[in-house]
Amino acid sequence: MEFEPKIVAFLCNWCSYTGADLAGTSRMKYSPSLRIIRVMCSGRICPTFIFKAFQEGADGVLVCGCHPGDCHYNEGNYKCLRRFKLIEKYIRQMGIEPDRIRLAWISASEGKLFAELANEMTQTIKNLGPSTIKAQLEQMV
Amino acid sequence: MANQDKPKLKMAIYWGAGCGGCCVSVLDVHEKLFDVVAVADLVFWPIALDIKYKDVEAMADGFIDLTLFNGAVRNSENEHMARLLRQKSKILVAYGSCAHLGGIPGLANLTNKNELFNRIYLETESTLNPDGIIPKTHFNVTEGELELPEFFNDVRALNQVVDVDYYLPGCPPRTERLIEVFMAIVNKAELPPNGSVVGAWEKTLCDECKRKKTDNKVIRKFYRPWEIHDDGETCFLEQGVICMGPATRGGCGYRCIEGNAPCQGCYGPPADAPDPGAKMMSAIGTIIDSNLEIEIEEIVDAIVDPVGTFYRFSLPKAILRKKMSVPKPVN
Amino acid sequence: MEEIRIGVYICWCGTNIAKNVDVERVAAEAGKLQGVVVARDYKYMCSDPGQDLMVKDIQEMNLNRIVVAACSPRIHEITFRKALEKAGLNPYLFQMANIREQVSWVHDDREKATQKAIDLVTGAVKRVRWQEALNKRSVKVNPATLVIGGGIAGLTAAREIARTGRIVFLVEKEKSLGGMMKKINRTFPNLDEASKYLNPIIEEVSSHPHIQVYLNSQLVKLSGYVGNFIGTVNHKETQSELEFGNIIVATGLKPFKPTPLSNYAYKRLPNIITSVEFEEMLSKGYIRLDSRQEPKHVAIIHCVGSRNPDFLPYCSRTCCQTALKFANQIKDLLPKAHVYQIYADMRSMSKGCEEMYSKTAKRGVMFLMYDQKGKLPYIREAGKNEKTRLVIEMKELLSGEQVEVTADLVILMVGMEAQETSKQLSQVLGISRCSNNFYIEKHPKLDPVATTTDGVFIVGSCQAPKEISDSASQAKAAAARVLAMINKDWVEVEVITSSVREEICCGCQICVHVCPYGAIEFLKEKKVSCVNEVICKGCGTCASACPTGAIGSRHFTEKQILAQIEGVMLQLLEV
Repeated sequence: MEFEPKIVAFLCNWCSYTGADLAGTSRMKYSPSLRIIRVMCSGRICPTFIFKAFQEGADGVLVCGCHPGDCHYNEGNYKCLRRFKLIEKYIRQMGIEPDRIRLAWISASEGKLFAELANEMTQTIKNLGPSTIKAQLEQMV
Repeated sequence: MANQDKPKLKMAIYWGAGCGGCCVSVLDVHEKLFDVVAVADLVFWPIALDIKYKDVEAMADGFIDLTLFNGAVRNSENEHMARLLRQKSKILVAYGSCAHLGGIPGLANLTNKNELFNRIYLETESTLNPDGIIPKTHFNVTEGELELPEFFNDVRALNQVVDVDYYLPGCPPRTERLIEVFMAIVNKAELPPNGSVVGAWEKTLCDECKRKKTDNKVIRKFYRPWEIHDDGETCFLEQGVICMGPATRGGCGYRCIEGNAPCQGCYGPPADAPDPGAKMMSAIGTIIDSNLEIEIEEIVDAIVDPVGTFYRFSLPKAILRKKMSVPKPVN
Repeated sequence: MEEIRIGVYICWCGTNIAKNVDVERVAAEAGKLQGVVVARDYKYMCSDPGQDLMVKDIQEMNLNRIVVAACSPRIHEITFRKALEKAGLNPYLFQMANIREQVSWVHDDREKATQKAIDLVTGAVKRVRWQEALNKRSVKVNPATLVIGGGIAGLTAAREIARTGRIVFLVEKEKSLGGMMKKINRTFPNLDEASKYLNPIIEEVSSHPHIQVYLNSQLVKLSGYVGNFIGTVNHKETQSELEFGNIIVATGLKPFKPTPLSNYAYKRLPNIITSVEFEEMLSKGYIRLDSRQEPKHVAIIHCVGSRNPDFLPYCSRTCCQTALKFANQIKDLLPKAHVYQIYADMRSMSKGCEEMYSKTAKRGVMFLMYDQKGKLPYIREAGKNEKTRLVIEMKELLSGEQVEVTADLVILMVGMEAQETSKQLSQVLGISRCSNNFYIEKHPKLDPVATTTDGVFIVGSCQAPKEISDSASQAKAAAARVLAMINKDWVEVEVITSSVREEICCGCQICVHVCPYGAIEFLKEKKVSCVNEVICKGCGTCASACPTGAIGSRHFTEKQILAQIEGVMLQLLEV
């Protein structure tokens, strides 16, 4: 059976989650790999969530917020971006392929872009293959 | 202090994968040692007493009242002793950072057994080993078969091997904290629930740190401690130096800060932030003073070793507790 | 600790969900999860019987946590929260799984869609266990209202509110009131003078004792929350700080500049003007060329900029009607002139406008259709022997022939676009913009004048191009909403806020400047941070910046989110 990745996606309520809803109301078809978790602002997303997703077996983690300058809470997306850059560096040091995490800006009107992003990321993860992080973490000795 | 009617407490101290500093911290009780031996008999302490493993094995289960286990679990000997002492002890305390969180030895989780053996026994510049001999667990010599402990791939904290009653953190734990906890046990004071951290505060280090703190927490550039002209008074974070103080329990007496070095996190995380590195990365990331991706990357680049910076003492207990080995592509 | 008793409800949404998701299987799998007492599927959970089913279960089975898997929480979360309240349960002990917008509508593979739905429901079930009851808080409403924009929408809203005796601050960025309508000569379809309607309103607003008008002014800063906003208004060199309870945004739109469409030769050849410039000419009472002669041939080109993917991808809604109105005005002033409507699609849909179209056609106006997806009409200078100065080359779509239209005067029906200030203001107000830069309403069908920011309403053309009557309707609708809130005297404020556990806070002060609203204060004596929960808007950024775990983000706690992650990754199915 073909590998169907599971990607945990953290979406801010105002832009990205609404954009994902728009993809739905516009009946755009995209890969069923995302498991979307809604937060109020991308500024709420902290490294713990991303690491936890990998620990639980996620093949990839997607973080989406409002476009720079358009955050519902002014600057939460920038704070998310800053953390994300640090996480990227850490993830690399931990031997995790950096392509397994992705930060993207999706506005409330970008349903199409969201659907494309989902497909694109799914393809990237398919190319990388299933994550072995969970299995490696469970192997203790 | 000693009550003649009361039977003396039977106490053991064991040294796993660690540096020995924890044992020294016990010796640092100095003249209070007399108080200790007045109420406790040391039944096992390899660094100080000639008591063999087989003597411990001969003890009845639960014979030992209190064991302070320091050091991480690096090899099968550590594991065997962890299990043995768990079985023989009423109270098992993970003593010091290595037993608590994996500690400095835990940073070896950034590599693995093969890489380490290759480096240590074959590659180092000072190695002369033309036959490529590496340690084996069993080896026959004329006198018979030698057995060495098995070196594990991962370093583990004590509670990743056996159940632990209490954690007494620090690298090493502050001796005053040890005495407080010890006396509480001797006096049968009401002990906190099993699994608690003892001998450390609920609040993190900033609460007791004497440096001047303001809300001016923005970071334009990260500095290593030797790159700044530290005035000895300003909060390290406000000078751009990463200090793990905000994500590390107090109780150490801010020894590093007093020595004009930032906190490195040996006392471990507070109760509600179990992965201190993740929390600190989140906090530090948030206060980077730039909204430009390229600039942020430059600023972040100054943190050369994120794992060593944010998980110096806690990697084996982190959510991602070891470096992943990426499978080689098939083609 | 109380026993967790969870009820799970999977909605079919008719066939919307049930077609691509095996709802019965989702319910069956949900029923196996820890703490789930009942798991059902039902045709329409949002319907009265659907809600009643849930309410009955809560009461009879002592449920204390509810999960509904249905549409987006942005649509029905409030509906179901109310149902919980009706059943005597705190509304925040509820979680939704979005299996319509994010599952059944986007995935065709029924098996994979069902698996995803099960994962999302599992995430919601795991999360809801940790959800806590939150208590609603209410604050007094400041009865003053800020209206931004002094066009017909803003004027109408301001007048409506002031007439009830309430204070209105009207902020206009230009030097006078009236907005776009002031530039309009006559209104369609009845060709009434616009000023006849507009001037009395301007008069009333300007002199109303309850309205303070700020001209040449802009709102530059906003703090507070619904019921109690504080705004900073810049007017030239001075600044005013105003306090108000609600905001009505009526900033309108601006005409598209046709210069980039080089085929229309605007500003390059003479006597090619925009519809807005033609209105100005009409207001002066004449129609004439640069040479002061009267034109004999007038061509009106539609959809200039509008419905063009390179410029304004949308229909500007009022241009067709205006073009028809122009034809009538030209015929009235210059009965002998030839008028050509060069259109892409005729969309005269407003009340009375189809009639205006038929009437116009009967007055000898010529209608020529061009292909908007093909080559656009091209205006060139006429040769010496031609009878007019300008020639429009175009392919007439109905006849299929290449034609040349002669013209002395060309009117370009320019589209309408969002104000340049729309972005800056959206950031000040914390409201969102659509891909065309117009403000987004809370709900496109059911809540068209509210925004997702409580206490901020959008009316008129700042939401999308619209005609005067629609702008007036919206203005009055928003005024009614504001007045209802003022009359109620109090309003519920955000309960999803952050809070600090003082016994954990170490006083590092990392959080203080992380808050975009200045809601966090460091208490020097206690050595801890403190969140002003009335100012906090609940983004949760401080909670993730807090290195100690002392700051919690209500309803988005770490425990809840981590449990949800665990849930969506918990594979129940044998793959």
